[in-house]
Amino acid sequence: MTEKTIWVVDDDPIYQIIMKKIIHKSNIFSSAYSFSNGKEAIDSLKQIILKNEKIPDIILLDIEMPILDGWGFMDEIAVLKSRINVQIRIYISSSSIAIEDKERANNNCGILGYMCKPITLDDLIKIASA
Amino acid sequence: MKLTKSLLSHNNWFIIKPKLTGMLVFLFFCTIFSLIISQQYHILKKAKNDAMHAKLQAIHKSIEQSLKKNYVDALTLALTINDKGIPENFESVGKQILASDSNIDAVQLVPNGIIRYTYPLKGNEAAIGIDLLNNKKYRYEALKAIQTRKMYFAGPFELNQGGLGILGRLAIYKNNQFWGFSAVIIRLNTLLEKPEIQNIDSSKYYFQFSKINPITKKETFFLNAKTKLNPENAATSIIPDGDWKLYLVDRKPYELVFPFILRALLALFLASLIGFLTTSFFKKPAELENLLRKQSDELLKNEIKFKSVFDQAAVGITYVDTVTGQLLEANKKYCDLLGYTEQEIKQKKIQSIVHPDDLKESFLNFEKLRKGIIREYTTERRHITKSNDIIWIRLTISPLWEINTSPTNHIAIVEDVTERKLAEEAIFNSQQKIESLINTVDGIVWECNAKTLEFTFISKKVETILGYTSEEWINTPDFWVNHIYHKDKDSTLKYCAEHTALNLNHDFEYRMIAKDGSIVWLRDIVNVIVENGEAKNLRGIMIDVTKNKEIEKDLNNSFNLVSEQNKRLLNFSYIVSHNLRSHTSNISSIVDLIENSDSEEEKEEMIQLLKSVSDSLNETMLNLNEVVNIQTNVDIVTEKLNLKQYIDNTLTILSDQIQLKGVKVISSIEKDIEIIYNPAYLESVLYNLISNAIRYSHPEKHPIIHIDSYKEGKKTVLKVSDNGIGIDLHKNGHKIFGMYKKFSTHKDSKGIGLFITKNQIDAMGGSITVESEPNLGTTFKVYIS
Repeated sequence: MTEKTIWVVDDDPIYQIIMKKIIHKSNIFSSAYSFSNGKEAIDSLKQIILKNEKIPDIILLDIEMPILDGWGFMDEIAVLKSRINVQIRIYISSSSIAIEDKERANNNCGILGYMCKPITLDDLIKIASA
Repeated sequence: MKLTKSLLSHNNWFIIKPKLTGMLVFLFFCTIFSLIISQQYHILKKAKNDAMHAKLQAIHKSIEQSLKKNYVDALTLALTINDKGIPENFESVGKQILASDSNIDAVQLVPNGIIRYTYPLKGNEAAIGIDLLNNKKYRYEALKAIQTRKMYFAGPFELNQGGLGILGRLAIYKNNQFWGFSAVIIRLNTLLEKPEIQNIDSSKYYFQFSKINPITKKETFFLNAKTKLNPENAATSIIPDGDWKLYLVDRKPYELVFPFILRALLALFLASLIGFLTTSFFKKPAELENLLRKQSDELLKNEIKFKSVFDQAAVGITYVDTVTGQLLEANKKYCDLLGYTEQEIKQKKIQSIVHPDDLKESFLNFEKLRKGIIREYTTERRHITKSNDIIWIRLTISPLWEINTSPTNHIAIVEDVTERKLAEEAIFNSQQKIESLINTVDGIVWECNAKTLEFTFISKKVETILGYTSEEWINTPDFWVNHIYHKDKDSTLKYCAEHTALNLNHDFEYRMIAKDGSIVWLRDIVNVIVENGEAKNLRGIMIDVTKNKEIEKDLNNSFNLVSEQNKRLLNFSYIVSHNLRSHTSNISSIVDLIENSDSEEEKEEMIQLLKSVSDSLNETMLNLNEVVNIQTNVDIVTEKLNLKQYIDNTLTILSDQIQLKGVKVISSIEKDIEIIYNPAYLESVLYNLISNAIRYSHPEKHPIIHIDSYKEGKKTVLKVSDNGIGIDLHKNGHKIFGMYKKFSTHKDSKGIGLFITKNQIDAMGGSITVESEPNLGTTFKVYIS
């Protein structure tokens, strides 16, 4: 089994705790990191690229976040794309059920899917094996 | 006329027959002239004859003189005869005689009629011995000399020595006994060598000499003459001594005739001229009289013609005394028009016929005629008929007096136009009706030229809608264009021009400036009138849609309001769904984890987590409740509040934090500023803004907060600015006042304060704006109505 890394970018601390539990239970990912907003995640990604460390395989991205929201994060990552040689599979995980958000996610080619909270173990397994 | 006739009768005869008169005059003068001319001719003729006779007489005398001398010579010769009858000294005497008289060629003595002696003998030898008395040729003449006992000249005849000669013989008696003859031979040429003959004006006369042969009685002419002698043209004289006849012939017998023919011709011409002049002199009056007769005939014909024209005319004609207004004459049509008989009409004055309302105008026109300002006029006026009806007539007045003379009479030509007038009135009435109909339309009906946009019609409604009169609109060029509201002008004109060019009817709206300066919204429905494929006129109606526009504006405002509220509501529903869903999804996940937990510790941990979720859900519910309260609260209590007092209160509440962070608060709010607001909202707004300013202070700067207030229009503006961390408005401007929008990771940041603040300000009818630069600071402005 390959070692998979997952990032959870969400400003809800309770959700972060829950996701940690579920990721742990899934036993798919070798490591999991949490970021409370897009900026923290993108800064971390830049560091990884600089240090040529392991780039995350999957990112679960919330939309509504302070400082840099999900859309802002997508814009930043598009800038960094040329410097990333592997594919990062980014999924939106939001409590928003607004159609606009779903469509926007569909129209962004960097986003692979849109998941409505709550995220279950099955959901996680599904995206991990996709 | 009569005068001319009597004048004519006097000279009737001459005048009627001018040619005969001329002829008589001609004959009379011819007679006179011919008498005068013939008299003159005769006088001249006689004078001429007398002159000829006188001249001839002189010649005659001169010849006789020569002959007498010859007689003497012959006598002298005879004296040589002695008593015995024998001539003595014949030779010497003969010689003497010849010497003394050059005329004499030769002398002879002829005793008993026989030529015995001749001097000179030479050349005359042949004559010797001729017996005259027994010679037939000479006998007669010789005897004649004896008979007359005088010297008788025989010849002329051919001389033996040549030429013509005359022989003068004198019978000599000795002792009463005939002895013989003494003869002299004379050359005719020498005889006639007389100055009287030679001096004759040969251009006028010529001389002729003849002898009547005593035996044959035939006249023989001896001088050369080319023309045959006409005795009538000659003066004659007879010399009995030789039975000779002398002629002085007029070379130009008709010399006098030619001038007299000329004179006669002249006289004839003169007479003809006089005759002709007389004829033409008498002819002139005849012609004039003819002309006069013709003209008077013409005049009479015209009079009849005009009379019939006057009587039969299809228009009424009357003849009026200008001074009194008395009708002097009127034709049938005129009488018929007014219903009077001809007798009745002549009793009328024009003033009694003209309608009283038209009298003044009539009088004014007559004044102008009298003063010579106008020479004619045509008008339409009313007349009153005998039956008191009013008729409309078309009247033409022509004065009959010369300019600058006092008025006499005038002619009035009258035509009944009552029907036309009534028709016109009907048209006018229907026009009035249409116009009043147009004026009842609740819009400005108009017409204009499609090219020039010059208005030809604009209904009275323009006065009620825009305040302008139709007249000022139509009479002012480009009135419409110049009164379109300036912001609409270009687009309106462009729209109109485009549609007109395509011959399309159009319907559009624009604003115009009314007379009172107000702006009126007009809807203009335009019909393009096309002629020959080209837009000729535009017709349309302008409807005042100002009220509709206002309603539309209100409606738009309401729509905007509703849209805004809708947006807010939608936003709220998203907020609700997001915030509540984030909690419920968390709860759902935790419950799931509890169910699948491996240990009691884990369960306990999850239950603790669940509890914190429940707390935040509760807080969220409270916040939402507060927001809902603000938004649903329609009647919020407002009162007059002192702004400074409330700010001071807020600063007191926050004094701990201010002190903790070392914030410097500078407030320029004056004591007396009072606003009408809900007290709780004001507290909340001030608390949120100032606490935000403290909370988001820059860690590397001394925090300073400015609180100011000023008036902007009718609104009071409260300004709170800080020098804190600021917000990137490019990224977050649209959601700064959103619910649960946090822009920092600050521990106290909840994302609810500004949302509530905005809701409270909106509810009070005001607004809030933000200006911010990251790391420089943020300024909030609250607009208070």
